[in-house]
Amino acid sequence: MGITQVLFWFLSILAILSAILVVVSKNPVHSVLWLIVVFVAISGHYILLDAQFLAIVNLIVYAGAIMVLFLFVFMLMNLNADTEPQKNRWLKIAGVVTGGALLLVLVAALKKADMKAQLAEMGHGNIGLIHNLGAVLFSDYVVPFELSSALFLSAMVGVVVIGKKD
Amino acid sequence: MNSILLSAIWGIVMMFSGVFTQSKSAIRYTAILGLILLLLVTCMDLGGCRVDINVHKMLYFDTFGMLGNSIAFASTLIYVLLSGRDMEKVGHNLAEYFALVFFILCGLSIVTSFNTLLMLFLGIEIMSIPLYILTGSDKRNLKSNEASLKYFLMGSFSTGLMLLGIALLYGASSTGTFFIDDLWAGKTSSEPLFMAGILLMLVSMGFKVSAAPFHFWTPDAYDGAPTVFTSFMATVVKVSIFVGFVRLFDEGFGASKEKWQLFVALVTAATLFIGNITAVFQQSVKRMLAYSSIAQAGFMLLSLMALNQVSKEGILLYAGAYSLATIGIFAILIRMKDYTFEGFNGLAKQQPVLAATCTIFLLSLAGIPLTGGFFAKYYMLSSVVATGHYLWLVIFAVLCAAVSVYYYFRVIQAMYFKDGDGSTEEQPSAGFKGLLVFVAALILLLGIFPQTLLDLLSKIVYIY
Repeated sequence: MGITQVLFWFLSILAILSAILVVVSKNPVHSVLWLIVVFVAISGHYILLDAQFLAIVNLIVYAGAIMVLFLFVFMLMNLNADTEPQKNRWLKIAGVVTGGALLLVLVAALKKADMKAQLAEMGHGNIGLIHNLGAVLFSDYVVPFELSSALFLSAMVGVVVIGKKD
Repeated sequence: MNSILLSAIWGIVMMFSGVFTQSKSAIRYTAILGLILLLLVTCMDLGGCRVDINVHKMLYFDTFGMLGNSIAFASTLIYVLLSGRDMEKVGHNLAEYFALVFFILCGLSIVTSFNTLLMLFLGIEIMSIPLYILTGSDKRNLKSNEASLKYFLMGSFSTGLMLLGIALLYGASSTGTFFIDDLWAGKTSSEPLFMAGILLMLVSMGFKVSAAPFHFWTPDAYDGAPTVFTSFMATVVKVSIFVGFVRLFDEGFGASKEKWQLFVALVTAATLFIGNITAVFQQSVKRMLAYSSIAQAGFMLLSLMALNQVSKEGILLYAGAYSLATIGIFAILIRMKDYTFEGFNGLAKQQPVLAATCTIFLLSLAGIPLTGGFFAKYYMLSSVVATGHYLWLVIFAVLCAAVSVYYYFRVIQAMYFKDGDGSTEEQPSAGFKGLLVFVAALILLLGIFPQTLLDLLSKIVYIY
């Protein structure tokens, strides 16, 4: 087992365990902290896949900016372990059944999946470097890249509409 | 491509129009001008005269999508002409509302012409985010806030499911591609991974068109949103997503049709059943229309079952007839004092023109012969009959259409046969009445000469 595989298993187990802890933690602040661990583990996966730029952006945007937003919301709403609402028992059972059914479908789908080709580049190649990413983004993917500006613009207009004082 | 570019640019123009002028009618006329231009460039697009940009095959412009676009733009134009004044009453940010509407139009032009799952996702998001905001634009109203938050949370969740589906489809494709016509390449039988991807795509697209059992957001979001924007959400947005829906399942998943058809059939039956039965028990006309839009989505889902030429023509006809009628009813509803069925009591005596046109719209939605709605439903049903399978679904759909007559006629009965003082908030202008009569005439025209119109359309396409 090479170093890549050891890292892969370590990061995978870390990601899954902390994702479970995000869900089961009673205190919302703890959930957010565990979520940061999930993002760090996933960033590690990106580095293993030679997607260095994506790894850094994932850390900056998700583990940085979005987590801070989450914590701000908790502070503003004064959420803590005591304010967690009591959920209906039947609702819980329904949630477990539907979630379990989806899990079953996904596990069945992945069990029979076969590796057709080596889709991921591991340990070699420089496809994830910022230079190559930029070149692809502005040649093959230039249309979605430019059109996504409409998305951000509409989100900004929305912020003004919602946030402006009447 | 013309319409994507122009609508995005006009969104920015509308944004700046609020800076340069305070006059509300100037802003409204700018929007109307933009919509007319959009219709023109779409017609030019249909004629083959388009801005030539190398899109790297990510967008694919065919007549089906273009006609879908022109129906959406024409309905938006009628919508703004009828209800543009009522948008001013929602809040102070009229220019921004119109900007958001144009961004939605940009998103829907992408959804009707996507060729990769990436563009589909982008288009759906460009449509959804402005919609969340328009839903919550009545900031002082708690119901509007609640509707917006609910719509946003559930909408983002369904977007997440769509992304998971796209990821699974990407993994299942033999070359690792997002292009919808290559997804099936090199496969002989459907693998579980591919089917799981289709399932998730169906769930998330079903959510966007409010198909049961993914419809739970619809009544709350439609009821809570300002009525002007409910009208837009229930018509233009919904039918355009249907065009993309049919496109995705026809070109992307058409080869594995047998495997997923039963699931679509069950979703269709559930949508028809829940939409129609729940609509019967509503007390508010606005909420009834929300459920009726679910029921109509059930009928539009029938085109997904058939996926043949008839169904593609049918969904366009349905889009036109349904949008016109619903926009008309909402335009009248916005001006009513009382949104309950009782509020319509005796409207025929006070406002004979409004009552008469409203009757035609309701008859069209119910699918009574001589209106556009009848032929729309007829095309949908006959497209499924032509495939020779799932006849039980056709019979079930006809039964549900019969149920729908009950709640549509309740409004007609209230207007004509009940005494009351149902009236509008202010006296509608002559222009408003004239436009309503025009829309009603269009619906009748669609109902009497649907074939002529379809032939005319195909001839226009053929000449170019």
